Amino acid sequence: MTTHYLVLSALLFAIGGIGVLVRRNAIVVFMCVELMLNACNLAFVTFARQHGNLDGQLIAFFVMVVAAAEVVIGLAIIVMIFRTRRSASVDDANLLKY
Amino acid sequence: MELYAPILVLAVLAAGFAIFSVTIAPFTGPRRWNRAKLDAYECGIEPTPQPVGGGRFPLKYMITAMLFIVFDIEIIFLYPWAVAFDQLGMFGLVEMVLFIVTVLVAYAYVWRRKGLDWD
Amino acid sequence: MNGGTIEAPTIEYALLAPMLIVFGAAIIGVLVEAFAPRHLRKAIHMPLTLVALLGAFLLTILQAVRDGVPTTPAAMGAVAVDGPALFIWGIILILAFVSTLLINDDEQFVAQAAAVPGSNDEEEAVRSGYAQTEVYPLLLFSVGGMLLFPAANDLLVMFVALEVLSLPLYLLCGLARRRRLLSQEASLKYFLLGAFSSAFFLYGTALIYGYAGSIDLRAISSSLGTVAGQDTLLYIGTALLGVGLLFKIGAAPFQAWKPDVYQGAPTAVTALMASTVLVAAFGAVLRVFWVALGNLDWDWRPVMWGVAILTMVVGAILAITQTEIKRMLAYSSIAHAGFLLTGVIATGAVEQNRDALSAILFYLAAYGFTTVGAFAVVTMVRDAGGEAGHLSRWAGLGKRAPVLAGIFAFFLLAFAGIPLTSGFFGKYAVFSAAVASDALPLVVVGVVSSAIAAFFYVRVIVLMFFSEPAADGPSVAVPTVGTSAVVALAAAATVVLGVFPEPVLSLADQAASALFVR
Repeated sequence: MTTHYLVLSALLFAIGGIGVLVRRNAIVVFMCVELMLNACNLAFVTFARQHGNLDGQLIAFFVMVVAAAEVVIGLAIIVMIFRTRRSASVDDANLLKY
Repeated sequence: MELYAPILVLAVLAAGFAIFSVTIAPFTGPRRWNRAKLDAYECGIEPTPQPVGGGRFPLKYMITAMLFIVFDIEIIFLYPWAVAFDQLGMFGLVEMVLFIVTVLVAYAYVWRRKGLDWD
Repeated sequence: MNGGTIEAPTIEYALLAPMLIVFGAAIIGVLVEAFAPRHLRKAIHMPLTLVALLGAFLLTILQAVRDGVPTTPAAMGAVAVDGPALFIWGIILILAFVSTLLINDDEQFVAQAAAVPGSNDEEEAVRSGYAQTEVYPLLLFSVGGMLLFPAANDLLVMFVALEVLSLPLYLLCGLARRRRLLSQEASLKYFLLGAFSSAFFLYGTALIYGYAGSIDLRAISSSLGTVAGQDTLLYIGTALLGVGLLFKIGAAPFQAWKPDVYQGAPTAVTALMASTVLVAAFGAVLRVFWVALGNLDWDWRPVMWGVAILTMVVGAILAITQTEIKRMLAYSSIAHAGFLLTGVIATGAVEQNRDALSAILFYLAAYGFTTVGAFAVVTMVRDAGGEAGHLSRWAGLGKRAPVLAGIFAFFLLAFAGIPLTSGFFGKYAVFSAAVASDALPLVVVGVVSSAIAAFFYVRVIVLMFFSEPAADGPSVAVPTVGTSAVVALAAAATVVLGVFPEPVLSLADQAASALFVR
């Protein structure tokens, strides 16, 4: 039964991963990363169910908190960039190269 | 039946608080009418005409949202602790107090840096 | 699950004391930010940070000397304070202490991070004469994470430590006073790629949890081979976990962020990052691949071979093409990550593991000091608009400031691994461990890329000493007491570890003697 959830979780992770690679707006890229973290959470609770122990559910809590902290830091950085350049596109961030 | 007594007491306390607050407010609170208060209720914010296709929100909305996320999520750790409160005993209590103090430090920082002021 | 009793955990606070001190000081730092008046903040932060780091360092030593090395993990098996962990803590704390002296230089940091570059707000903030002092608590939080990362004995603690380590660094990267656009861009890139890689780490953790039913490193190790038909989970999980960890050490093909971030960040922060993060991350890599996945080494070793070879070659070759001094040092750091990876691969019997581990520990100590010193020198060579980053500006520096250029040349030679510098013994130890575990091809690649790397180090030295200084060349800033102390200390460490390495080598041997606790 739990296989379905794992497949869903893998799909979400892949969608998030592809999104990070192809999207251009920093906010959307970041949302895709969050999607990947949520895919992890789904996998954790599924495995917790499968193994019959609570570790996985506990990990999901921690992941949510860490993700929230990451959101706050990330949005702060993106807003800072936006205010400077009036753009949140990762293509415009091209000053650093050799 | 005794098992349910605390719940009943809590319900009575809650109801009492709600009724008390609602009845006392008209007598103690200041009354200052302005246009915003007489406007149709939307979300508590003065309704403003929105540009077509959205438009940008001021940054202060985002700051509020970020603060909310951080402090809201911390609650996550309180639930499991509350469930196992008895078994964790003194250790759990001390650890949780430490945790809340840590969050409180962040709160103090936000407050002193005027993160809670709207204007 | 239902109605089961939960026992209150036991936590060995004494063992975790160094970490707790650092975190406690960080929290006090936040309170200082909140309540102390602006002109006093720096005067409070500086001693607080230094005392906390020093106190944590002394406690670490005390623990290693007096109590000996614990044989079981602490805090219900969540944190392993063992020989390697204590050694790594020691290195990280000294390096962080030294970097703090460098960070003390106000010129480095933005007056007000929230002010848009070029705006009136910024001018006003600069005129007020203050710099953003949140740097100090952020540094302490990050160092706390670095202490936890290599000592984490389960994958959840490791993930949380990884984030505690990284999040403050993302912010610190964006706080440079000069060239703010570059700095902000570095911060954005580091953040997006770092978050991406930590998602990989986490999914790897999830899959390994699915395989083993536990995230405890020892439990994972003992479950290897006992679960039938789930090998796919294990292999994919290991690979994803590896991506997350290799990103942090900047191994190819996950090295893209390193040059950008090193260049854009304030140089004092780069010094901190370049030295301590590598140390902490290698501790974690070793723990995951040796403790949890040690019995799987036939499966991960070939991939690691490829990664190590690619890292050494990419680091050495791309470094040649660089024209920016900090980017060049970044690629050099990538190459060094490759050399260290050859040590990670050099597993075998217990005796062999001990040698490899002690070699890696020594290498990390040697490399960390040299790196801090090199970046400290970079902060001192200045143009009108801040640091003189472009290599052409360094031409003839040897004639203008012979002492400084001499010290920098010495650091570069240490990076190259010339005898009588600390780099030589580090490389020698790691490569001989690799030879002993039959990884000869790897060592050949390592030596060849060392030779390539030596070429560009020497090129910089030639540029400094044998070309004419430009008329409008950069000036050498009069160093603050802190900066000169950093340079002197780093130079001294590089000499001592190169000429008289015996004490530190034997310390590393001792730290490695019991390997990792399980």
